[in-house]
Amino acid sequence: MSALILTSVLGVLLLYLGVFGNKRLLAPVAVLGLLGAIALMASGWYMDVPFFADMVRFDGTAAAFNMGLTGLTILLFLFGVDYYARMERDVAEHYALMVFSLVGAYLLTSYTNLLVLFLGIEVLSIPLYILAGGKKTSYRSGEASFKYFLLGSFATALFLMGIALVYGVSASFDLGRVQEVAEAQGSAPSPLFLLGLFFIAIGLSFKVAAVPFHFWSPDVYEGAPTLVTAFMATVVKMAAFAGFFRLVHLTGLPPALANTLLAMTVLTLFVGNIVALRQTNFKRLMAYSSVAHTGFLLLVVLGNSASGISTLFYYTLTYGLATVGLFVVMVLVKRAANGSEEVRSFRGLYQAKPWLAITALLLLLSLAGIPLTAGFVAKYQVFLLALQAGFLKTTVFAVAMALVGIYYYFVVVREAFTADEQPLDVQVTPLNGLVVLLCGIAVVALGVWPVVLP
Amino acid sequence: MLLAALLLLPFVTATLLLVARPEAQARLLAMASTLVTAVVVLLLWAGYAGSAVTVVDHDWVPAVGLRLVLGYDGIALLMLVLTGLIFPFIIGAGFKQQHDRPATVNALLLYAQSFLFGVFAAQNAFLFYIFYELALVPVFFLLLFWGGEQRRAVTMRFFIYTLLGGLSLLFGLAWCVLQTPAPYSADFTALHALRLGSEVQVWLFWALFLAFAIKLPIFPFHSWQPDTYTVAPLQGTMVLGGVMLKMGLYGILRFVMPIVPEGVVFWRDLVIGLSLAGALYAGAIAFRQRDLKRLVAWSSLSHVGLLCAGLFAWNSYGVSGALYQAFAHAVLLVGLLYMVGAIHARTGTHDLGAMGGLKLRTPRLAVLFLLVLVNAVALPLTQSFVGEWLMFNGLWQHNGWMAFAAACTIVLGAIYMLWAYQRVMLGPDSGGPAVADADRDDHLYLVPLIAISLFLGVYPGPVLDLLEAPVQLMLNTLTALN
Repeated sequence: MSALILTSVLGVLLLYLGVFGNKRLLAPVAVLGLLGAIALMASGWYMDVPFFADMVRFDGTAAAFNMGLTGLTILLFLFGVDYYARMERDVAEHYALMVFSLVGAYLLTSYTNLLVLFLGIEVLSIPLYILAGGKKTSYRSGEASFKYFLLGSFATALFLMGIALVYGVSASFDLGRVQEVAEAQGSAPSPLFLLGLFFIAIGLSFKVAAVPFHFWSPDVYEGAPTLVTAFMATVVKMAAFAGFFRLVHLTGLPPALANTLLAMTVLTLFVGNIVALRQTNFKRLMAYSSVAHTGFLLLVVLGNSASGISTLFYYTLTYGLATVGLFVVMVLVKRAANGSEEVRSFRGLYQAKPWLAITALLLLLSLAGIPLTAGFVAKYQVFLLALQAGFLKTTVFAVAMALVGIYYYFVVVREAFTADEQPLDVQVTPLNGLVVLLCGIAVVALGVWPVVLP
Repeated sequence: MLLAALLLLPFVTATLLLVARPEAQARLLAMASTLVTAVVVLLLWAGYAGSAVTVVDHDWVPAVGLRLVLGYDGIALLMLVLTGLIFPFIIGAGFKQQHDRPATVNALLLYAQSFLFGVFAAQNAFLFYIFYELALVPVFFLLLFWGGEQRRAVTMRFFIYTLLGGLSLLFGLAWCVLQTPAPYSADFTALHALRLGSEVQVWLFWALFLAFAIKLPIFPFHSWQPDTYTVAPLQGTMVLGGVMLKMGLYGILRFVMPIVPEGVVFWRDLVIGLSLAGALYAGAIAFRQRDLKRLVAWSSLSHVGLLCAGLFAWNSYGVSGALYQAFAHAVLLVGLLYMVGAIHARTGTHDLGAMGGLKLRTPRLAVLFLLVLVNAVALPLTQSFVGEWLMFNGLWQHNGWMAFAAACTIVLGAIYMLWAYQRVMLGPDSGGPAVADADRDDHLYLVPLIAISLFLGVYPGPVLDLLEAPVQLMLNTLTALN
């Protein structure tokens, strides 16, 4: 709770720092502020007290998710020091908007009221619409922003409609009340309630980029500034899934909705992995890989078991760490390769900077799910959950798709470890190196000692 | 304690090589490490009392059934001994190879050794899987960096093929773990205690078996093998064919046979049929090869088909024979590949058509080649003879026609091997510059290999004693079924 306030104030403070033109202070203040937020959350661990007329509840899982989200944002800000030093003059807004977006993410992980869920999604998204257009002179960035905004607001409208319909049945926005209604209706809910849940699910599917609501993601990922792309791929996805699971876990899944989600899961796994095979642009590859990971995570949501939230947390965190690290490596490679974002431009990375290539290898191994990295344990847990929930055939399909995933990640590995005639002149600042190394160490450490939320 | 040393010593040495990069002393350092591990496995063998041993037993990630359990029984010990004894030869083969960055090559080889020890010592299925997949990573880089032509495409094919099997195994494993009583356990003891329904076993068999069928490989999952063996650097092929292939065999014994015995009964005739068909087919193809290294690759495929058939005969002759032959095959393959390297160093080619009459110039090398070769054709008094005779017996007990097909592959093997010898060594001299005969290093390398194969061919007792108890234990489940 106090962390929520601190973070909001931090956003305002950053804006003021921008007004007074103190650019060099921005990143340190932002990082310190977020570290403070983490400290507050850690000290308030399990102080399970309702806030705001019982609309928000920072329970243990919410605290864990929030700390994870903040940690990922800190890593991105550390990377931002170097990234924004080369960009346009007004960068305070970028930091502030990301911090505001993070506040929305906090709400998504801790809501107990449908209105707060809506509020969270909007607070999360609106800064992102602006951030996606952060490169003001770039057409692609403008396109990304506009596309994201149009499609996003459309999804939000449906989402709001869903909340209204659910309210029509339950006469309350409170999740506890909605849960009672859902339980009373059992497996044959009234059409109104079902339609409401459908619309809410659509709104959330848009945020996590599940097929067929994924069309924005490759274009937005490619067009947005890389730092924002990394933020969207990690923080937004983690928060949206936490919100999704919280809802589904309380209302349960009526058979009609479960079947729809199952079909979406299969489609997401298929489209994400198969289309990723054809990508030559690294950012688009990461976009489709993100869609593919959404498919695995949807399996957890579908499984809807008590231990699901722990798996969800572990999976999104490890995915986030690997993705942040890889995006940093990509930016470094992009600078050395004259702005090329092609996978091909990774060639010669091992020659130039062996340690960077080896760390990137660890991160890619984690995304691919090779043992001793965190990604492996995460995927294995997902398969276990899905099997427990009785999705035998879907799990077989997911396993096959995981294999496809390994292929396209290893195409990147192969490029990075193939020698090139022209050596890649990669320059790494100490801070960027630190971020990549932290991510690399984290995915191995989390793979050897997996966290399990109680 | 000794077991932990086995896992750690190669790992630490490899990390040392990778970090400090002592390029000049890399080979010697790696050699010293593998020699020490060879002594350690022999000590393990000497101290083995005849019953299964568990050395380490710790919880790791209880939520998914992953526990750190290390130990060994007779079968695992045989595999550990095999890995320990073969690796000095694999490292030794590098002394005559001109690589860039020898420190990295040897580091990768030692990592592979450490993970392979892990595979054979793991007593938890999940732990086994982790080592099983990890062992792939060093080989991936060996292929990618030091492979021959078209290595990028071949490496990817090999990698994807193997991971397909790995993921299938992971799925089967996850399914099995969920059947164990809560809290889930992936220990082999827990998994072996499972009694699954017959219909389940029939499909689960393939989920578990596919991984090992690809690893071995048996027909029709073999299409990665000839290219990979040919393209890989010599030492990479030695690791792949000499030791990693045995992971497949070992996996079948640890996973497939105890967990889904009814599935084995249901499918065994098909599997034996495929294996023998593959063995005959590979033998026929080997006969047509002009490239010496490819010929060795196809001959290995043929031998492995027979191995798998013997295993699935599923009686004490067949299983012990397959395991015995696994050892023999490792010794044989390393010897053959070393000869391929030695001949290449002298003639500059792998092409059989361009060779001939080498014996006139290198008489000692020709004798050594012949001594390696008698093991390949399973001449009596060699190690292979014992293994193949046992497997032949096992198959005969199962089905006379299958035994006949097995005998045919043995005859075929003798034909293409001896014909290869003829084309390389005999006939009129094909000319070319004068070359050195086998020197001290060649003798130092090949004589111990030949000695192992002859010694165990004459006196197979120690190895067979090792296998008797665990094989009998496993076969009892079959008797219980019937």
